[in-house]
Amino acid sequence: MNLETLSLNLLGLLTPFLVILAFITPLLSKLLKSSRRAPFIIALIGGVYAAMASTVVFCYEITSRSPLIYTYGGWPPHFGIVYEIDLFNGLLGFLVAWIMLAIILYSSWYSKRLDDASWYFTLLLGLTAGVLGCLYTGDAFNFFVMLEVLSISTYGLVAYLRNRAEAVEATAKYALIGAVATTMYFLALVIIYSGYGTVNMAYLAGLSSAEFVVKEPSLRYLSLLAVSLALWTFTFKSAIFPSHFWLVDANPEAPHPVSVALSGLVESVGIYAAGRFLYTIFRPNGVLAVYHSVILIVLVTLGAISGVVCALMMLNQRDIKRLLAYSSISHTGIVYMGLFAGFLVNNSAVEAAITGAIVHAVSHVIAKTALFMSSGLFIETSGSRDLDDMRGVGRAHPLALVATVISTLSLIGLVPFIGFYSKLLIILGYISAGFVIVPILVIAITALSVPGYMKILSSVAFGIPAKEYKRPSGETWVEVLILLIALSLLVLGVIFWYIMPIFQDTTSSLISGAGDYINSALERIPEELRSLMRGVS
Amino acid sequence: MEAVNTYLLSVTLASLLVNFAISLYAMFFKPHYVKKVIALTILGDTVNTFAIYIGYRRWVEQRPPRVPVLTDLRPEAIEEFKNLAVDPLPQALVLTAIVIGLAVILFLVFLGWILYSHYRTLDMREIKRLKG
Repeated sequence: MNLETLSLNLLGLLTPFLVILAFITPLLSKLLKSSRRAPFIIALIGGVYAAMASTVVFCYEITSRSPLIYTYGGWPPHFGIVYEIDLFNGLLGFLVAWIMLAIILYSSWYSKRLDDASWYFTLLLGLTAGVLGCLYTGDAFNFFVMLEVLSISTYGLVAYLRNRAEAVEATAKYALIGAVATTMYFLALVIIYSGYGTVNMAYLAGLSSAEFVVKEPSLRYLSLLAVSLALWTFTFKSAIFPSHFWLVDANPEAPHPVSVALSGLVESVGIYAAGRFLYTIFRPNGVLAVYHSVILIVLVTLGAISGVVCALMMLNQRDIKRLLAYSSISHTGIVYMGLFAGFLVNNSAVEAAITGAIVHAVSHVIAKTALFMSSGLFIETSGSRDLDDMRGVGRAHPLALVATVISTLSLIGLVPFIGFYSKLLIILGYISAGFVIVPILVIAITALSVPGYMKILSSVAFGIPAKEYKRPSGETWVEVLILLIALSLLVLGVIFWYIMPIFQDTTSSLISGAGDYINSALERIPEELRSLMRGVS
Repeated sequence: MEAVNTYLLSVTLASLLVNFAISLYAMFFKPHYVKKVIALTILGDTVNTFAIYIGYRRWVEQRPPRVPVLTDLRPEAIEEFKNLAVDPLPQALVLTAIVIGLAVILFLVFLGWILYSHYRTLDMREIKRLKG
């Protein structure tokens, strides 16, 4: 079996397998009452499978460089649901699946605190299916369905500790607006369908840059309306400035593993979708014409506002998880500033900035995973989320403390860590285009957020313990897991010049790979249909 | 018939727009949780109806649009189907969206119940134990 067949088989089974596992979890844990570990083991099977499948798919993408298409039920694209993977979503899927596996492992430590963990792992598997489905799908409507799977799982997970009034309140605020946001995406989809008659992403990409469409003003305004509605949903999911409020409420109240998923995975989905819509489907010189640059500039501005405002908000937080949530929003702002550099005229500048944004998304997700996981350990040991009550708690968990320091330094952007290179590339990209305001803002955001991180370090690491923290036995493996995640930041930073071509290819698959994306979808259509469709478009 | 058809379609579109505006207003400015959930159902139904509206066909030559079921495979029957049948895809999309909406609404209703048991009120102005 060659790599292509293998990755197609693994990919086709991915979402159905995860959903089936999610549904049998409650049933099996009722049948196997004696075994408290059963839900965790089922979730672990799902997590390992997802990590394996996404790794194989990513390897295939690195070696072949052409988009991989899985057609559900054998229906060619546009007539059935397809999964279409190029380097951009292959890379993000690879990252997300491994982070999810780490979250599931970490949940095995956390779930000892829950009365009945079977529903927790059900929702966690649902979240995995939702995130990977969102990333891999090549069908805009399937994206909506997967977005709802993801959303409902996260609502349930945030409200999981339902005996705490704050958790329920945070979920109510998140879920009400979240439901409106996903409905808006559905509305955008209906508008797109009314204009183009398809919901397949590759077809939309092909049609939206076809000559007769570009000259049609009514389709331009229709697409503009649809893109604006869809982008509101995506900025909501990635927690960018006007709709960032849910993350700072939901993150502290959620169970610790879920905080990781919220600020790592859910935000990645928002970033991915916005990038896919603005660089593959509605391209710079396609139907949106001049409005495309306007949209990009608006997104960069929103990113800058959320970067600066949330870096400032970090200063007066006492709650460690709320502080980290603000830091997440600030870093997503930086990712937005880099990713939507497409309005610059200089091509190499755009490439550098987008490469930087992708690297920053990766480094931020890894660093935030390590930080939220170790803060979970500290919170459980000290019994409080308040930084003043957590003084010196790091001394009870030395390995997790090292991980905290490493990931904080990477978030600030110090030299041997990968966080340095991502910011460097964004800054270099903008400077080479002569656009100096963004580099200044990135540096300002970094400088403004340093005191916030120092607050964590000074309290957790350097504070003098007010009381003797007793260290629970048999939990060293959790600390080792966190340390491994944090060390990957250092390793990625050290070998960065060797892995940079992968990120550069990812960028070029995003900004100039739309032709491949469309063609490989069209190639899957039977010949007689294809000649018919040539007549149409 | 043409005029009546146009009139009815315009009324539908206008009422959809009004419904959309009302539901968004209620969603953001009505303080009560249950009213927000009701606004959400109105919003969802509005968008679903809009999708059906997009798939609908105008009357062609005094003939009403037909159901999108094709059993007769002769070329002329297919030609007539192409000219007269309504678009089935939005209906399929709406079916999925309704099921998803049901799940979200059920979740929100039960969440409201738990919210009430904690706060003894569902007025969102009084539910503010969070700092943000």
